[in-house]
Amino acid sequence: MVVCEFPECTTFGSVIRFALELEKGAAGVCEELAKEPKMGPAAEIFRALAESHKKRGTAIEDMRQQKLNEMILEPIQDMHRENYLISTEYPKGADAKTAGRFAAKIEETSAKFYADAARIAKPLMSEGSRLLDKLSKESLANKAKLEAL
Amino acid sequence: MALLTEVQKNYGKLKNYVNGEWIDSTSDKVIDVENPSTTESIAKVPMSTVDETKAAIEAAQEAWWAWRETPPIARARFFFKLKELMEQHFENIARIMVQEQGKTIDEARGETRRTIENVEVAAGIPSLMMGYSLEDGAAEGIDEEAIMSPLGVFGAICPFNFPAMIPYWFWPYAVATGNTYILKPSSQVPLTQWYLTKIVEQAGFPPGVMNLVNGSHEVSDTLMEHPLVKGVSFVGSSPVAKYIYKKSSENGKRVQAQGGAKNSLVVMPDAVMDRTVSNMLASYYGCAGQRCLAGSNMIAIGDIADPLLNRWVEASKRIRMGYGLDESVNMGPVVSAKAKKKVLEYIDGAQKQGAKILLDGRNAKVPGYEKGYFIGPTVIDGVTPDMTIAKEEVFGPVVSFMRMKNMDEAIDFMHKSPFGNAASIYTQNGKWARDFRYRVQCGNIGINVGIVAAMAYFPFAGYKDSFFGTLHGQGKDAISFFTDRKVVITRWF
Repeated sequence: MVVCEFPECTTFGSVIRFALELEKGAAGVCEELAKEPKMGPAAEIFRALAESHKKRGTAIEDMRQQKLNEMILEPIQDMHRENYLISTEYPKGADAKTAGRFAAKIEETSAKFYADAARIAKPLMSEGSRLLDKLSKESLANKAKLEAL
Repeated sequence: MALLTEVQKNYGKLKNYVNGEWIDSTSDKVIDVENPSTTESIAKVPMSTVDETKAAIEAAQEAWWAWRETPPIARARFFFKLKELMEQHFENIARIMVQEQGKTIDEARGETRRTIENVEVAAGIPSLMMGYSLEDGAAEGIDEEAIMSPLGVFGAICPFNFPAMIPYWFWPYAVATGNTYILKPSSQVPLTQWYLTKIVEQAGFPPGVMNLVNGSHEVSDTLMEHPLVKGVSFVGSSPVAKYIYKKSSENGKRVQAQGGAKNSLVVMPDAVMDRTVSNMLASYYGCAGQRCLAGSNMIAIGDIADPLLNRWVEASKRIRMGYGLDESVNMGPVVSAKAKKKVLEYIDGAQKQGAKILLDGRNAKVPGYEKGYFIGPTVIDGVTPDMTIAKEEVFGPVVSFMRMKNMDEAIDFMHKSPFGNAASIYTQNGKWARDFRYRVQCGNIGINVGIVAAMAYFPFAGYKDSFFGTLHGQGKDAISFFTDRKVVITRWF
C-alpha cells in the first residue's frame, strides 16, 4: 500500500504538499492495480494513469519552484484537509470494474481538491490557478474513464 | 505532518571564501549560529580579522582588471550558469534559510525565487550597461559618447532578515558590471550565503571576483575605511545605516544604506474586507514581522474599524506557529532571544501607556519547540499617535490598531514619522488611491498590497531615515551605483 501523509492545508506550501501526496497516492494505486492478475486489458489504462500522475506531480513541483512569490503568501484558512483525504488501500484481487470504481473515487476527490485550490489560488496566482484547474478537469475525465471499465 | 529534512544538522565552523579558496579564519572570536526554532547551535561563524578583510579586498582588487576586461556577454554567462545551479539547489537554499533564520519554508522558497530573479536580471548586463552616444554631439565632426565603466572593489554589509535575497540586491549587479566584490553576511545567519557561495564557486567565477568574509564590525569598518573599496551597500537599522553612510562618505565611497521602517497600512471604509484581511495577514505576520516592509500600524478609517478589528483578531488567532520546516506552519519565531526580548518590551510598554492587548502573543508556546523564540500574533487596540509603539520599529508580529477619521489624518500621522519605507492603502476608490500614492512620502506604496517588495528590475529603498544615499538597490539604480559615466569626445583629423 502506498503511504501518503496529508498535511493541514494552511499555507501555499502545504496545499502543494497535499497535491503531491495525492499524486503519489494515485500513481501508486494505479501501478499496483495494473499488476493485478484479473485486470486484463485494463492494466494498460492503469499503467498510463500511473505515468500521468507522476507527470502531474512534476508539474506541481515546478509550479512551487517557479511561481511562488513572497507577496502572495497569504494564509489559507478555508480548505479543510478532511474533505480531500483518499484511501490508498486498494482492493487486492479486484477485477477491472471494482478497481475502476476504487480509482475513480480517488479521481473524484482529486478533482474537488484541485477545483478548490484553483479557486483560492486564482486571485493570487492566475497561472498556478490555471494549472490546478486543468488538473481538476483531468481528474474528472479520468474518473469517467475509470467508471466505464 | 512530518518536518522536511534539514540539509545538515550541523555545519561546523564556517570558512571565508577569498580569491577562489575556502580559508579558515585565524580569529579566536567565534560565535554560534542558532536555530531560532530549537535554539540549538547549528554552526560556528568566525569574526574575521582586519587583516583577513584587507587580504580579501586586495585579492578582489587583483582580480578586478582581468574581470573588467572580460566582455559583458562573457560575464553574463557566469550568471546564466549560476541561475541554473541555483535552480538545482533551490530546495536546499530554502531549507538552510529556515534553519538559521526561522522563517517558514514558503517564505524561504519565495525568497529563493527573488534571489534567483536578481541573478536573472543581472544576466541581462550587455543591454543594461550600454551607454549612449551622439554623432556630432560636441560639434560638427566631433562625436560624443558616454560609457558606463566599472570602478573596482565593492562590498556589502547584510542583515539577518533576508539571508539570501538582500546580498543579491547588490553583488550580481556589481560583478556583472565588471566590478569585484566582498560580501559580509549577517553573523546571525551566515549559512545561506555560505551555501550560495559554494554554488558561486561551482559556477566558475574567476578567483577574487566574488569573496565572502564572515564577521562583525572589524570587517565592516575595514570595508568602509580601505582605500581600494569604491562603494558600500548596507541594509539594517536606521542608526547603523546613518553611521555607515557617514563613515563611508567621509572615506570617499559611494554608499547606499537602507535603514529601518514603521509602515502603516490604511484601511478605507470601502475596502474589500475578505481580501484585505487575508492580504494584511501576510504583511503583519509574514517572516514573524521581521520584514522592513512589514505592516506595523493598522489605521482604520471611519466606521470600518470595529468590523475590521473583529475579523482581524479572529483571523490572527488562526495563524499557526511552528518550525518552518513544517509546511503547514504560517509563522516561525523571531530570530533571537534578544529580538524576542525587544518585541516583548514594546508590547509591555504599549500596555503601560494605556493600549489594550486584544490578542496577546507574549506567552506563546509551540509544542516540541518550547525554547524557541516564538511570539504569537499580537493585536493592540487603542493605540494613539503619541504612543511609543505607534512610532518605533518593533520588528515582530505585533499590530498597533489605530482609528482615524479620514485619510488626511492618517497621512499627517505618517508624515510625522522619521521613517519613510512603505505605506499601503486598501480601497476600491481610485481617487483615494491616487491621492495616497501622490502624497505619501514613502519609497514604496501599496494599493491593496501589503508587502510592497520591488521586483529585481525595479529599485528598492525608502525615503527619509529609511534610506541614506541616492541610488537604490536593484534595477537600473544598481547599474548606476556600480558604474561611472565616462564621456569620450572624438574627432578624427
